[in-house]
Amino acid sequence: MSDMVAGAPAAESGWRANVQRFGGNLAAMVMPNIGAFIAWGLLTALFIPTGWAPNESLAEMVGPMILTLLPVLIGYTGGRLVHGQRGAVIGAVATMGIVVGSDIPQFLGAMAIGPLAAWVLRKFDDFVVPRTKGGFEMLVNNFSLGILGVVMAIIGFLGIGPIVTSLTTVLGNGVEVLVDNRLLPLASLLIEPAKVLFLNNAINHGVLGPLGVVEAAEAGKSILFMLETNPGPGLGILLAFWLAGPNKAIRLSAPGAIIIHFFGGIHEIYFPYVLMKPQMILAAIAGGMTGIMTFMVTGVGLVATPSPGSIFAYMAVTPRGNFFGVLLGIALSAIVSFVVGAALLRFSKSDEEPDLDEAAAQSAANKGAKPATPEA
Amino acid sequence: MPSIEGKDIKSVVVACEAGMGSSVLLTTQLAKQLKPHGVAVTHSPVNRLNDDTADVVLCHQGLVSRARQAAPNSVVIPFQMFMGDPAFAKVTAAITNGGTLDG
Repeated sequence: MSDMVAGAPAAESGWRANVQRFGGNLAAMVMPNIGAFIAWGLLTALFIPTGWAPNESLAEMVGPMILTLLPVLIGYTGGRLVHGQRGAVIGAVATMGIVVGSDIPQFLGAMAIGPLAAWVLRKFDDFVVPRTKGGFEMLVNNFSLGILGVVMAIIGFLGIGPIVTSLTTVLGNGVEVLVDNRLLPLASLLIEPAKVLFLNNAINHGVLGPLGVVEAAEAGKSILFMLETNPGPGLGILLAFWLAGPNKAIRLSAPGAIIIHFFGGIHEIYFPYVLMKPQMILAAIAGGMTGIMTFMVTGVGLVATPSPGSIFAYMAVTPRGNFFGVLLGIALSAIVSFVVGAALLRFSKSDEEPDLDEAAAQSAANKGAKPATPEA
Repeated sequence: MPSIEGKDIKSVVVACEAGMGSSVLLTTQLAKQLKPHGVAVTHSPVNRLNDDTADVVLCHQGLVSRARQAAPNSVVIPFQMFMGDPAFAKVTAAITNGGTLDG
């Protein structure tokens, strides 16, 4: 057990931590606001003309929320991460420049300008606060934020907004090319390995979500929300470990993990299973590709990002008429991941000892008694 | 490498990427076991950790180098599995029965 701890730092290198940190910052701007996304998703699912209870007046909230409120919240949160409450306020002000300067949901733009504006204000505060005369603090603070906020909003309006708009268009067109040529399932080759390296939130909330929301604002739904969040592959992998896991402790832990993963939406719970048997990533990729292929062929999408990636969250953001394709994709991806995963676990039975010392030591510690039983 | 005696542990933080998902799950579980011993269990995004956050930091193996960077003088204990990992038993045992935690 202690060697597991001692061996820890060498297991990961600097680049991975850096990518994680960058992605973590993107996710950290979005994730505290997921509740607002859900409110918007529910409004959309209910009240738009194709929704469950179409209502023209209430549907008027849909546009302003996605185009203004959500980007401003992201810019606000991004600013807060950099410079506390003052950073949050200037982040929100600056984001308005981007929001007004474009007609797409500016999530990526908000992720850029919010922290940037807060950083500028922090630098300004660092310099000016020690030099401010007593009694003038409030005056200086309020006007420095106000003036710098206007400047940053203008920079956003003229510079960052248009850049992000064209970048989003290019990326969106790229996705469209992938969809049109039925190549989108290839995304699983990147997404599934990155997920288990704990880049799941970075990929979903940092990249796919912001692109998906642009598509959803136009088309009413997007498949991009489903690429990373599909709980099917993880379910299949956990089922495979339940029925064909390398030892009893692992098999017994799987059902609890399945509930937390599939119903609670905390995908992190299955990552360690894949990390302990790295070949299982093939099962995840196979399941992920199957899911995306099914979603693509049946032409389904979600109205908002399902977060956490629970089956309940999925159902909540599935638009009317899309349930069959969504459920079929999740089911098929779970089945494929399970079949491939179970086969991989069976095949690797013979050489399980060498690459399983950690898990074995751990299960031995768990059980206290007998070593992993060599079952047939 | 920092270390701490079990009886000196007054707070434990579970860190995960966002500080909202898996860490909350573990916090709920650990708090049940550790609260009777006067130990506060909280959760945090790994990016927001610092040495004042808690006496002991628990986080997944995949995030441990970032946790050590963020809180270089805190005891950081990595775990592999989210359920039934010996790391949790180790921390609980140190707090309830005494003993030294290194990390």
